[in-house]
Amino acid sequence: MTAAVTVRGLRRSYGDRTVIRSLDLHIERGEFVVLLGESGCGKTTLLRALAGLDPIDAGRIDGPARPAVVFQEHRLLPWDSLWRNVALGLPEKDSRRRAETALAEVGLGDRLDDWPRNLSGGQAQRVALARALVQQPKLLLLDEPFAALDALTRIKMQSLVRALVRKHQPGVLLVTHDVDEAITLGDRALVMRDGAIARGHAISAAASGHRSHPEAIALRDRLLADLGVGADA
Amino acid sequence: MSDLSIATPVYSQATARRTGSGNRQLLSWLVPAVLVLAWEALARFGKIPPYILPAPTKVISTAISLVRDGTLIPDIGISLLRAASGFVIGGSIGFAFGVAVGFSRTAGLLLDRTILMLRAIPFLAVLPLVIVWLGIGEGAKIFLVAFGVAFPIYMNTVLGIRQVDPKLVELGRVTGLSTGTLIRRIILPGALPSILNGVRYALATAWLALVVAETIAASSGIGFLAMDAREFLRTDVIVLVIVIYAAIGVAVDSVAKLLERRLLAWHPNYAREANR
Repeated sequence: MTAAVTVRGLRRSYGDRTVIRSLDLHIERGEFVVLLGESGCGKTTLLRALAGLDPIDAGRIDGPARPAVVFQEHRLLPWDSLWRNVALGLPEKDSRRRAETALAEVGLGDRLDDWPRNLSGGQAQRVALARALVQQPKLLLLDEPFAALDALTRIKMQSLVRALVRKHQPGVLLVTHDVDEAITLGDRALVMRDGAIARGHAISAAASGHRSHPEAIALRDRLLADLGVGADA
Repeated sequence: MSDLSIATPVYSQATARRTGSGNRQLLSWLVPAVLVLAWEALARFGKIPPYILPAPTKVISTAISLVRDGTLIPDIGISLLRAASGFVIGGSIGFAFGVAVGFSRTAGLLLDRTILMLRAIPFLAVLPLVIVWLGIGEGAKIFLVAFGVAFPIYMNTVLGIRQVDPKLVELGRVTGLSTGTLIRRIILPGALPSILNGVRYALATAWLALVVAETIAASSGIGFLAMDAREFLRTDVIVLVIVIYAAIGVAVDSVAKLLERRLLAWHPNYAREANR
Protein backbone atom coordinates (compact mmCIF):
# COMPACT_ATOMS: atom_id res chain seq x y z
CA MET A 1 0.00 0.00 0.00
CA THR A 2 1.17 3.51 -0.73
CA ALA A 3 0.03 6.67 0.94
CA ALA A 4 -2.40 8.95 -0.87
CA VAL A 5 -1.83 11.75 1.61
CA THR A 6 -0.22 12.24 5.01
CA VAL A 7 -0.92 15.28 7.17
CA ARG A 8 1.09 16.12 10.27
CA GLY A 9 0.48 18.90 12.79
CA LEU A 10 -1.71 20.95 10.47
CA ARG A 11 -2.83 24.29 11.82
CA ARG A 12 -4.99 26.88 10.13
CA SER A 13 -6.47 30.05 11.57
CA TYR A 14 -8.47 32.96 10.27
CA GLY A 15 -7.36 36.04 12.18
CA ASP A 16 -7.29 35.04 15.85
CA ARG A 17 -9.79 32.18 15.38
CA THR A 18 -8.04 28.84 15.05
CA VAL A 19 -10.12 26.52 12.87
CA ILE A 20 -7.72 23.59 12.71
CA ARG A 21 -5.26 22.92 15.52
CA SER A 22 -2.63 20.23 15.25
CA LEU A 23 -4.39 17.79 12.95
CA ASP A 24 -2.91 14.46 11.80
CA LEU A 25 -4.39 12.39 9.00
CA HIS A 26 -3.25 9.52 6.83
CA ILE A 27 -5.07 8.08 3.84
CA GLU A 28 -3.88 5.12 1.77
CA ARG A 29 -4.40 4.67 -1.97
CA GLY A 30 -7.70 2.91 -2.47
CA GLU A 31 -8.92 3.81 1.01
CA PHE A 32 -12.26 5.58 1.44
CA VAL A 33 -12.21 7.89 4.44
CA VAL A 34 -15.28 9.81 5.53
CA LEU A 35 -14.95 12.93 7.60
CA LEU A 36 -17.92 13.80 9.80
CA GLY A 37 -18.49 16.82 11.95
CA GLU A 38 -21.00 19.49 12.70
CA SER A 39 -21.01 22.66 10.64
CA GLY A 40 -18.14 24.96 11.42
CA CYS A 41 -15.91 22.25 12.90
CA GLY A 42 -13.28 22.85 10.23
CA LYS A 43 -13.90 19.92 7.90
CA THR A 44 -14.30 22.04 4.80
CA THR A 45 -11.25 24.06 5.82
CA LEU A 46 -9.26 20.82 6.00
CA LEU A 47 -10.46 19.78 2.55
CA ARG A 48 -9.56 23.16 1.08
CA ALA A 49 -6.10 22.95 2.62
CA LEU A 50 -5.60 19.48 1.10
CA ALA A 51 -6.79 20.81 -2.26
CA GLY A 52 -4.18 23.55 -2.10
CA LEU A 53 -6.87 26.22 -2.20
CA ASP A 54 -6.01 27.74 1.16
CA PRO A 55 -2.58 28.31 2.70
CA ILE A 56 -1.71 26.53 5.95
CA ASP A 57 -0.20 28.16 9.02
CA ALA A 58 1.81 25.23 10.37
CA GLY A 59 2.45 21.54 9.82
CA ARG A 60 2.92 19.69 6.59
CA ILE A 61 0.89 17.92 3.94
CA ASP A 62 2.62 15.16 1.97
CA GLY A 63 0.40 14.32 -0.94
CA PRO A 64 -0.21 14.96 -4.59
CA ALA A 65 0.23 18.57 -5.67
CA ARG A 66 -3.09 18.41 -7.41
CA PRO A 67 -5.78 16.20 -5.92
CA ALA A 68 -9.11 16.08 -7.75
CA VAL A 69 -12.05 17.79 -6.07
CA VAL A 70 -15.81 17.43 -6.44
CA PHE A 71 -17.65 20.29 -4.79
CA GLN A 72 -21.16 20.52 -3.43
CA GLU A 73 -22.13 22.46 -6.58
CA HIS A 74 -21.22 20.84 -9.88
CA ARG A 75 -19.24 23.91 -11.07
CA LEU A 76 -19.51 22.95 -14.73
CA LEU A 77 -18.54 25.65 -17.22
CA PRO A 78 -21.88 26.60 -18.79
CA TRP A 79 -20.21 27.68 -22.05
CA ASP A 80 -18.51 24.36 -22.72
CA SER A 81 -20.01 21.10 -23.92
CA LEU A 82 -19.91 18.17 -21.52
CA TRP A 83 -16.84 16.59 -23.02
CA ARG A 84 -14.95 19.90 -23.00
CA ASN A 85 -15.90 20.30 -19.36
CA VAL A 86 -14.53 16.87 -18.52
CA ALA A 87 -11.41 17.48 -20.60
CA LEU A 88 -10.63 20.76 -18.81
CA GLY A 89 -6.93 20.72 -17.98
CA LEU A 90 -6.14 17.58 -19.99
CA PRO A 91 -3.46 17.83 -22.67
CA GLU A 92 -5.12 18.55 -26.01
CA LYS A 93 -4.03 15.28 -27.60
CA ASP A 94 -6.49 12.48 -27.01
CA SER A 95 -8.59 14.65 -24.68
CA ARG A 96 -11.89 13.96 -26.39
CA ARG A 97 -11.41 10.21 -26.27
CA ARG A 98 -10.43 10.30 -22.60
CA ALA A 99 -13.40 12.53 -21.78
CA GLU A 100 -15.66 10.15 -23.66
CA THR A 101 -14.43 7.19 -21.63
CA ALA A 102 -14.91 9.10 -18.38
CA LEU A 103 -18.42 10.23 -19.34
CA ALA A 104 -19.33 6.69 -20.35
CA GLU A 105 -18.28 5.51 -16.90
CA VAL A 106 -20.84 7.81 -15.29
CA GLY A 107 -23.51 6.77 -17.80
CA LEU A 108 -23.45 9.91 -19.94
CA GLY A 109 -21.42 8.62 -22.87
CA ASP A 110 -24.14 9.64 -25.32
CA ARG A 111 -24.26 13.29 -24.21
CA LEU A 112 -20.72 14.40 -25.19
CA ASP A 113 -21.80 17.51 -27.09
CA ASP A 114 -24.70 18.51 -24.87
CA TRP A 115 -24.73 21.69 -22.78
CA PRO A 116 -24.61 21.61 -18.97
CA ARG A 117 -27.88 23.56 -18.77
CA ASN A 118 -29.74 20.55 -20.18
CA LEU A 119 -28.70 18.33 -17.26
CA SER A 120 -30.53 17.48 -14.06
CA GLY A 121 -28.75 18.08 -10.77
CA GLY A 122 -27.71 14.44 -10.48
CA GLN A 123 -26.44 14.27 -14.06
CA ALA A 124 -24.43 17.46 -13.60
CA GLN A 125 -22.85 16.02 -10.47
CA ARG A 126 -21.98 12.86 -12.41
CA VAL A 127 -20.18 14.99 -15.01
CA ALA A 128 -18.30 16.69 -12.18
CA LEU A 129 -17.30 13.24 -10.93
CA ALA A 130 -16.14 12.25 -14.43
CA ARG A 131 -14.11 15.46 -14.61
CA ALA A 132 -12.41 14.56 -11.33
CA LEU A 133 -11.69 10.93 -12.26
CA VAL A 134 -10.41 11.65 -15.77
CA GLN A 135 -7.34 13.20 -14.13
CA GLN A 136 -6.56 9.76 -12.61
CA PRO A 137 -6.04 11.36 -9.21
CA LYS A 138 -4.09 9.73 -6.40
CA LEU A 139 -6.33 11.60 -3.99
CA LEU A 140 -10.00 12.43 -4.53
CA LEU A 141 -11.62 15.04 -2.31
CA LEU A 142 -15.41 15.10 -2.12
CA ASP A 143 -16.95 18.12 -0.42
CA GLU A 144 -20.55 17.09 0.36
CA PRO A 145 -21.14 16.26 -3.30
CA PHE A 146 -24.53 14.65 -2.65
CA ALA A 147 -25.94 17.29 -0.33
CA ALA A 148 -27.96 19.11 -2.97
CA LEU A 149 -29.45 15.98 -4.54
CA ASP A 150 -32.84 14.43 -3.85
CA ALA A 151 -32.91 11.20 -1.82
CA LEU A 152 -33.27 8.75 -4.72
CA THR A 153 -30.63 10.43 -6.87
CA ARG A 154 -28.34 10.50 -3.86
CA ILE A 155 -28.56 6.72 -3.40
CA LYS A 156 -27.77 6.09 -7.08
CA MET A 157 -24.93 8.59 -6.97
CA GLN A 158 -23.47 6.94 -3.86
CA SER A 159 -23.30 3.52 -5.46
CA LEU A 160 -21.80 5.02 -8.61
CA VAL A 161 -19.09 6.71 -6.55
CA ARG A 162 -18.38 3.51 -4.66
CA ALA A 163 -18.05 1.50 -7.88
CA LEU A 164 -15.79 4.04 -9.56
CA VAL A 165 -13.56 4.45 -6.52
CA ARG A 166 -13.18 0.67 -6.37
CA LYS A 167 -12.17 0.69 -10.02
CA HIS A 168 -9.75 3.63 -10.00
CA GLN A 169 -8.39 3.18 -6.47
CA PRO A 170 -7.66 6.78 -5.45
CA GLY A 171 -7.46 7.64 -1.79
CA VAL A 172 -10.76 9.35 -0.97
CA LEU A 173 -11.69 11.92 1.62
CA LEU A 174 -15.44 12.54 1.70
CA VAL A 175 -16.71 15.40 3.81
CA THR A 176 -20.31 14.98 4.91
CA HIS A 177 -22.62 15.38 7.86
CA ASP A 178 -24.72 12.38 6.93
CA VAL A 179 -23.91 9.45 9.22
CA ASP A 180 -25.67 6.86 7.05
CA GLU A 181 -23.75 8.05 4.01
CA ALA A 182 -20.52 7.65 5.97
CA ILE A 183 -21.36 4.05 6.92
CA THR A 184 -22.48 3.10 3.40
CA LEU A 185 -19.45 4.50 1.61
CA GLY A 186 -16.52 4.59 3.98
CA ASP A 187 -13.79 2.17 5.02
CA ARG A 188 -13.12 4.45 7.94
CA ALA A 189 -15.12 7.26 9.56
CA LEU A 190 -13.42 10.14 11.31
CA VAL A 191 -15.21 12.58 13.56
CA MET A 192 -13.80 16.06 13.67
CA ARG A 193 -14.36 18.33 16.64
CA ASP A 194 -12.76 21.61 17.69
CA GLY A 195 -10.28 21.61 14.83
CA ALA A 196 -8.88 18.11 15.36
CA ILE A 197 -9.79 14.51 14.60
CA ALA A 198 -11.59 13.48 17.78
CA ARG A 199 -12.42 9.87 16.95
CA GLY A 200 -11.92 7.26 14.24
CA HIS A 201 -13.96 4.14 13.54
CA ALA A 202 -13.23 1.36 11.09
CA ILE A 203 -16.32 0.41 9.10
CA SER A 204 -16.76 -3.31 8.44
CA ALA A 205 -18.05 -4.66 5.14
CA ALA A 206 -21.04 -6.02 7.02
CA ALA A 207 -21.95 -2.56 8.34
CA SER A 208 -21.54 -1.02 4.87
CA GLY A 209 -23.60 -3.76 3.31
CA HIS A 210 -26.94 -3.12 4.96
CA ARG A 211 -28.21 -0.27 7.05
CA SER A 212 -30.20 -2.55 9.40
CA HIS A 213 -27.26 -4.88 10.10
CA PRO A 214 -26.55 -4.88 13.87
CA GLU A 215 -23.00 -3.60 13.29
CA ALA A 216 -24.35 -0.72 11.20
CA ILE A 217 -26.86 0.20 13.91
CA ALA A 218 -24.21 0.07 16.63
CA LEU A 219 -21.79 2.16 14.56
CA ARG A 220 -24.48 4.71 13.78
CA ASP A 221 -25.15 5.13 17.51
CA ARG A 222 -21.46 5.54 18.26
CA LEU A 223 -20.97 8.11 15.50
CA LEU A 224 -24.03 10.07 16.58
CA ALA A 225 -22.74 10.05 20.14
CA ASP A 226 -19.37 11.33 18.93
CA LEU A 227 -21.16 14.08 17.08
CA GLY A 228 -22.95 15.08 20.28
CA VAL A 229 -26.41 13.85 19.31
CA GLY A 230 -26.47 10.76 21.53
CA ALA A 231 -29.05 8.04 21.94
CA ASP A 232 -30.93 10.12 24.50
CA ALA A 233 -31.91 12.55 21.74
CA MET B 1 -32.02 49.68 -28.08
CA SER B 2 -34.99 47.38 -27.86
CA ASP B 3 -34.57 43.69 -28.23
CA LEU B 4 -37.84 42.02 -29.02
CA SER B 5 -36.41 38.54 -28.71
CA ILE B 6 -35.73 39.17 -25.03
CA ALA B 7 -38.47 41.64 -24.27
CA THR B 8 -41.22 39.43 -25.69
CA PRO B 9 -44.06 39.63 -23.19
CA VAL B 10 -45.03 36.48 -21.33
CA TYR B 11 -48.48 36.17 -22.85
CA SER B 12 -47.14 36.22 -26.41
CA GLN B 13 -46.11 32.56 -26.40
CA ALA B 14 -49.71 31.52 -25.85
CA THR B 15 -50.87 34.05 -28.44
CA ALA B 16 -48.38 32.72 -30.94
CA ARG B 17 -49.81 29.23 -30.62
CA ARG B 18 -53.32 30.48 -31.29
CA THR B 19 -52.81 32.92 -34.15
CA GLY B 20 -49.61 31.53 -35.66
CA SER B 21 -46.46 33.61 -35.80
CA GLY B 22 -47.09 34.65 -39.45
CA ASN B 23 -50.23 36.60 -38.57
CA ARG B 24 -48.51 38.15 -35.59
CA GLN B 25 -45.69 39.42 -37.83
CA LEU B 26 -48.22 40.93 -40.24
CA LEU B 27 -50.08 42.64 -37.43
CA SER B 28 -46.93 44.34 -36.16
CA TRP B 29 -46.36 45.86 -39.61
CA LEU B 30 -49.86 47.33 -39.80
CA VAL B 31 -49.24 50.65 -38.05
CA PRO B 32 -46.00 51.54 -39.89
CA ALA B 33 -47.66 50.69 -43.21
CA VAL B 34 -50.64 52.93 -42.45
CA LEU B 35 -48.32 55.77 -41.41
CA VAL B 36 -46.30 55.55 -44.63
CA LEU B 37 -49.46 55.42 -46.75
CA ALA B 38 -50.87 58.46 -44.95
CA TRP B 39 -47.60 60.31 -45.46
CA GLU B 40 -47.65 59.44 -49.16
CA ALA B 41 -51.26 60.58 -49.53
CA LEU B 42 -50.74 63.87 -47.69
CA ALA B 43 -47.69 64.67 -49.79
CA ARG B 44 -49.35 63.65 -53.07
CA PHE B 45 -52.41 65.81 -52.51
CA GLY B 46 -50.32 68.81 -51.63
CA LYS B 47 -51.19 68.95 -47.94
CA ILE B 48 -47.44 68.88 -47.15
CA PRO B 49 -45.20 70.98 -49.43
CA PRO B 50 -42.29 68.94 -50.90
CA TYR B 51 -39.65 71.15 -49.29
CA ILE B 52 -41.06 70.26 -45.83
CA LEU B 53 -41.48 66.55 -46.41
CA PRO B 54 -41.42 64.90 -49.84
CA ALA B 55 -43.48 61.80 -50.54
CA PRO B 56 -41.89 58.39 -49.81
CA THR B 57 -42.04 57.52 -53.52
CA LYS B 58 -40.11 60.69 -54.29
CA VAL B 59 -37.45 59.70 -51.77
CA ILE B 60 -37.18 56.29 -53.42
CA SER B 61 -36.79 57.77 -56.90
CA THR B 62 -34.15 60.17 -55.56
CA ALA B 63 -32.30 57.18 -54.10
CA ILE B 64 -32.39 55.44 -57.49
CA SER B 65 -31.10 58.47 -59.38
CA LEU B 66 -28.34 59.09 -56.81
CA VAL B 67 -27.22 55.48 -57.15
CA ARG B 68 -27.32 55.84 -60.97
CA ASP B 69 -25.09 58.91 -61.08
CA GLY B 70 -22.65 57.14 -58.79
CA THR B 71 -22.61 59.38 -55.72
CA LEU B 72 -24.64 57.50 -53.12
CA ILE B 73 -22.81 54.17 -52.87
CA PRO B 74 -19.27 55.63 -52.51
CA ASP B 75 -20.55 58.04 -49.87
CA ILE B 76 -22.15 55.20 -47.90
CA GLY B 77 -18.89 53.26 -48.24
CA ILE B 78 -16.87 56.17 -46.85
CA SER B 79 -19.23 56.56 -43.90
CA LEU B 80 -19.13 52.85 -43.09
CA LEU B 81 -15.36 52.80 -43.34
CA ARG B 82 -15.10 55.71 -40.87
CA ALA B 83 -17.44 54.03 -38.41
CA ALA B 84 -15.60 50.70 -38.74
CA SER B 85 -12.10 52.12 -38.27
CA GLY B 86 -13.20 54.23 -35.31
CA PHE B 87 -14.95 51.23 -33.82
CA VAL B 88 -11.95 48.92 -34.21
CA ILE B 89 -9.51 51.48 -32.77
CA GLY B 90 -11.73 52.59 -29.88
CA GLY B 91 -12.92 49.04 -29.22
CA SER B 92 -9.39 47.65 -29.02
CA ILE B 93 -8.28 50.39 -26.66
CA GLY B 94 -11.35 49.97 -24.46
CA PHE B 95 -10.96 46.19 -24.42
CA ALA B 96 -7.24 46.31 -23.64
CA PHE B 97 -7.71 48.68 -20.70
CA GLY B 98 -10.78 46.73 -19.60
CA VAL B 99 -8.82 43.47 -19.46
CA ALA B 100 -5.96 45.15 -17.57
CA VAL B 101 -8.24 46.77 -14.99
CA GLY B 102 -10.46 43.69 -14.74
CA PHE B 103 -7.54 41.44 -13.87
CA SER B 104 -5.15 43.58 -11.93
CA ARG B 105 -5.98 45.46 -8.79
CA THR B 106 -2.93 47.67 -9.34
CA ALA B 107 -3.97 48.54 -12.87
CA GLY B 108 -7.43 49.30 -11.50
CA LEU B 109 -6.04 51.68 -8.89
CA LEU B 110 -3.79 53.36 -11.44
CA LEU B 111 -6.23 53.72 -14.31
CA ASP B 112 -9.83 53.40 -13.26
CA ARG B 113 -10.28 56.88 -11.80
CA THR B 114 -8.73 58.58 -14.83
CA ILE B 115 -10.88 56.61 -17.22
CA LEU B 116 -14.03 57.34 -15.25
CA MET B 117 -13.17 61.06 -15.26
CA LEU B 118 -12.77 60.99 -19.04
CA ARG B 119 -16.00 59.06 -19.33
CA ALA B 120 -17.83 61.87 -17.55
CA ILE B 121 -17.30 63.97 -20.67
CA PRO B 122 -20.22 63.63 -23.08
CA PHE B 123 -18.24 62.49 -26.09
CA LEU B 124 -19.92 65.00 -28.39
CA ALA B 125 -18.61 67.82 -26.21
CA VAL B 126 -15.05 67.15 -27.34
CA LEU B 127 -15.97 67.78 -30.97
CA PRO B 128 -14.77 71.44 -31.10
CA LEU B 129 -11.49 70.39 -29.53
CA VAL B 130 -11.12 67.55 -31.99
CA ILE B 131 -11.65 69.95 -34.89
CA VAL B 132 -8.97 72.27 -33.50
CA TRP B 133 -6.57 69.36 -33.13
CA LEU B 134 -7.25 67.36 -36.22
CA GLY B 135 -9.12 69.71 -38.53
CA ILE B 136 -12.09 68.34 -40.42
CA GLY B 137 -10.20 65.47 -42.06
CA GLU B 138 -10.72 61.74 -41.59
CA GLY B 139 -8.71 61.75 -38.36
CA ALA B 140 -11.24 63.90 -36.55
CA LYS B 141 -14.19 61.69 -37.38
CA ILE B 142 -12.39 58.48 -36.58
CA PHE B 143 -11.17 59.97 -33.31
CA LEU B 144 -14.67 60.97 -32.29
CA VAL B 145 -16.08 57.53 -33.07
CA ALA B 146 -13.21 55.82 -31.24
CA PHE B 147 -13.68 58.10 -28.23
CA GLY B 148 -17.35 57.25 -28.03
CA VAL B 149 -16.80 53.52 -28.49
CA ALA B 150 -13.92 52.99 -26.06
CA PHE B 151 -15.90 53.67 -22.87
CA PRO B 152 -18.84 51.29 -23.20
CA ILE B 153 -16.43 48.52 -24.24
CA TYR B 154 -14.12 49.34 -21.34
CA MET B 155 -16.90 49.44 -18.74
CA ASN B 156 -18.52 46.20 -19.86
CA THR B 157 -15.22 44.35 -20.12
CA VAL B 158 -14.25 45.31 -16.57
CA LEU B 159 -17.72 44.47 -15.30
CA GLY B 160 -17.79 41.15 -17.16
CA ILE B 161 -14.42 40.02 -15.84
CA ARG B 162 -15.26 41.00 -12.28
CA GLN B 163 -18.58 39.18 -12.46
CA VAL B 164 -17.11 35.83 -13.45
CA ASP B 165 -18.22 33.26 -10.88
CA PRO B 166 -15.33 32.95 -8.37
CA LYS B 167 -16.30 29.31 -7.82
CA LEU B 168 -15.47 28.56 -11.46
CA VAL B 169 -12.15 30.38 -11.14
CA GLU B 170 -11.45 28.27 -8.04
CA LEU B 171 -12.28 25.16 -10.02
CA GLY B 172 -9.76 26.27 -12.63
CA ARG B 173 -7.10 26.58 -9.95
CA VAL B 174 -7.94 23.15 -8.51
CA THR B 175 -7.67 21.67 -11.98
CA GLY B 176 -4.22 23.20 -12.25
CA LEU B 177 -4.87 25.44 -15.24
CA SER B 178 -2.14 27.87 -16.21
CA THR B 179 -3.03 31.56 -16.04
CA GLY B 180 -3.31 31.70 -19.82
CA THR B 181 -5.65 28.73 -19.98
CA LEU B 182 -7.65 30.06 -17.03
CA ILE B 183 -8.24 33.32 -18.90
CA ARG B 184 -9.04 31.59 -22.18
CA ARG B 185 -11.29 28.84 -20.87
CA ILE B 186 -12.98 30.45 -17.86
CA ILE B 187 -12.61 34.21 -17.49
CA LEU B 188 -13.16 35.47 -21.03
CA PRO B 189 -16.10 33.13 -21.79
CA GLY B 190 -17.63 34.16 -18.46
CA ALA B 191 -17.19 37.83 -19.29
CA LEU B 192 -18.41 37.45 -22.86
CA PRO B 193 -22.13 38.22 -22.33
CA SER B 194 -21.22 41.52 -20.71
CA ILE B 195 -18.59 42.33 -23.36
CA LEU B 196 -21.03 41.67 -26.19
CA ASN B 197 -23.54 43.89 -24.46
CA GLY B 198 -20.89 46.60 -24.52
CA VAL B 199 -20.26 45.94 -28.20
CA ARG B 200 -23.90 46.48 -29.06
CA TYR B 201 -24.07 49.65 -27.04
CA ALA B 202 -20.80 50.86 -28.59
CA LEU B 203 -22.09 50.21 -32.11
CA ALA B 204 -24.99 52.57 -31.45
CA THR B 205 -22.58 55.15 -30.02
CA ALA B 206 -20.26 54.81 -33.01
CA TRP B 207 -23.10 55.47 -35.38
CA LEU B 208 -24.25 58.52 -33.42
CA ALA B 209 -20.71 59.91 -33.31
CA LEU B 210 -20.40 59.47 -37.02
CA VAL B 211 -23.68 61.25 -37.79
CA VAL B 212 -22.62 64.24 -35.70
CA ALA B 213 -19.08 64.38 -37.07
CA GLU B 214 -20.24 64.13 -40.67
CA THR B 215 -22.98 66.66 -40.22
CA ILE B 216 -20.70 69.29 -38.73
CA ALA B 217 -17.51 68.82 -40.64
CA ALA B 218 -17.15 66.69 -43.73
CA SER B 219 -16.58 66.87 -47.47
CA SER B 220 -17.72 63.34 -48.21
CA GLY B 221 -19.90 60.63 -46.69
CA ILE B 222 -23.65 60.53 -46.35
CA GLY B 223 -23.72 63.16 -43.59
CA PHE B 224 -22.05 65.53 -46.04
CA LEU B 225 -24.64 64.54 -48.64
CA ALA B 226 -27.40 65.70 -46.30
CA MET B 227 -25.70 68.97 -45.41
CA ASP B 228 -24.98 69.66 -49.06
CA ALA B 229 -28.62 68.98 -49.90
CA ARG B 230 -29.72 71.43 -47.20
CA GLU B 231 -28.03 74.24 -49.14
CA PHE B 232 -30.28 73.51 -52.09
CA LEU B 233 -33.39 72.68 -50.05
CA ARG B 234 -33.28 69.10 -51.39
CA THR B 235 -35.45 67.72 -48.59
CA ASP B 236 -35.79 64.44 -50.46
CA VAL B 237 -32.03 63.81 -50.17
CA ILE B 238 -32.06 64.77 -46.49
CA VAL B 239 -34.88 62.34 -45.76
CA LEU B 240 -33.09 59.67 -47.77
CA VAL B 241 -29.93 60.12 -45.69
CA ILE B 242 -31.94 59.86 -42.47
CA VAL B 243 -33.51 56.63 -43.71
CA ILE B 244 -30.10 55.25 -44.70
CA TYR B 245 -28.68 56.07 -41.26
CA ALA B 246 -31.59 54.24 -39.66
CA ALA B 247 -31.33 51.26 -42.00
CA ILE B 248 -27.61 50.82 -41.45
CA GLY B 249 -28.11 51.19 -37.69
CA VAL B 250 -30.70 48.40 -37.72
CA ALA B 251 -28.53 46.22 -39.96
CA VAL B 252 -25.48 46.62 -37.73
CA ASP B 253 -27.53 45.85 -34.64
CA SER B 254 -28.89 42.66 -36.22
CA VAL B 255 -25.38 41.55 -37.03
CA ALA B 256 -24.44 42.13 -33.39
CA LYS B 257 -27.51 40.20 -32.26
CA LEU B 258 -26.62 37.32 -34.57
CA LEU B 259 -23.11 37.33 -33.13
CA GLU B 260 -24.55 37.16 -29.61
CA ARG B 261 -26.78 34.28 -30.53
CA ARG B 262 -23.92 32.29 -32.01
CA LEU B 263 -21.36 33.01 -29.30
CA LEU B 264 -23.81 32.67 -26.42
CA ALA B 265 -25.59 29.54 -27.60
CA TRP B 266 -24.81 28.02 -24.19
CA HIS B 267 -26.53 30.85 -22.32
CA PRO B 268 -30.04 30.12 -21.00
CA ASN B 269 -31.28 33.52 -22.25
CA TYR B 270 -30.37 32.59 -25.80
CA ALA B 271 -31.18 28.90 -25.53
CA ARG B 272 -34.61 29.15 -27.14
CA GLU B 273 -33.25 30.78 -30.27
CA ALA B 274 -30.21 28.51 -30.50
CA ASN B 275 -32.33 25.35 -30.42
CA ARG B 276 -34.45 26.46 -33.31
